[in-house]
Amino acid sequence: MTAETQIDSYLTALRTHLGPLTISEREEIVREINAHIRDSAEEPGASVESVLARLGPAEELAAQYREGFLIRQASRSNSPIVLLRGALRLATKGVFGTLIFFLGLFGYMMGGGLFLTGILKVIFPANTGMWFKDGSFVFCGSSITPPGPPAYEVLGMWCIPLALFAGSLILVLTTAAIRASLRASQSWQSKL
Amino acid sequence: MAIQRVQPADGDQPDRWEAQLRKGALEMAALASLWQGRLYGLEIIRFLESHSQLALAEGTIYPILNRLKAEGLLTSEWVEAEAGHPRKYYSLTEAGRQRLKQMAEAWTNFSGGLSRLLEPVIDRKENHQ
Repeated sequence: MTAETQIDSYLTALRTHLGPLTISEREEIVREINAHIRDSAEEPGASVESVLARLGPAEELAAQYREGFLIRQASRSNSPIVLLRGALRLATKGVFGTLIFFLGLFGYMMGGGLFLTGILKVIFPANTGMWFKDGSFVFCGSSITPPGPPAYEVLGMWCIPLALFAGSLILVLTTAAIRASLRASQSWQSKL
Repeated sequence: MAIQRVQPADGDQPDRWEAQLRKGALEMAALASLWQGRLYGLEIIRFLESHSQLALAEGTIYPILNRLKAEGLLTSEWVEAEAGHPRKYYSLTEAGRQRLKQMAEAWTNFSGGLSRLLEPVIDRKENHQ
């Protein structure tokens, strides 16, 4: 192989393994590594082979770039899927991440469930709400067989704004909490 | 502090412990190399080699620079060079200068304390030889 084809195949491998990054980020990395290879190959006593050997396999170099990328990207996102994926990546690093992942999952389920209850109240008003019996709580949510007398429903149509508001609040708080944890985990990494 | 995470937990993994210690130090070293002004990747590598005993796999520095930039501690610019291809120069941002000062202070305190702690260990080793 000539020096040019060696460089080309190294950069192609690098580009392939940088898959999850954005195109502009990926191309900038490839451009920088290309400049590195050409500059250091011109140093006295160096060859393209020795330079590529010192850089290490393209796959490993790409893996070092990808490390942390998912978490960094997730900490700027609002999408539950991206955020949970970031938290899952954090979970592979320790107990804190695992806790965040499950708290996040719980938060999304609570918030989503409450929101859904608000919508179900519109469609099935008789089956949705919060029931009490003798002054103590029996059931809240939506059910095919809602509690009958002597249990009584307490919210009425207030159920709709209350459930929608509480559901949204929990969803927003969950999103903010996951983003804050992901950002915090990044700054720990960069300190000493 | 990541130092807490650098655990020499398994007695049979001193290499891993040392690798993590180096990796942590490398971020600070990369920031420190830019204290005097902008440099491009290869210059940073050569600077670290000549100013410290940080023998590094050349591939490791670029992902670190990439992350420090994403965290806002560094900025970069492409500059045309005689070599025929542009080079990516890095410089410290104000946040980067502040962080580096904090790191340098923490590092100095930490390593000073540890060196005193390790003095007897190193002395005894020399007596045995």
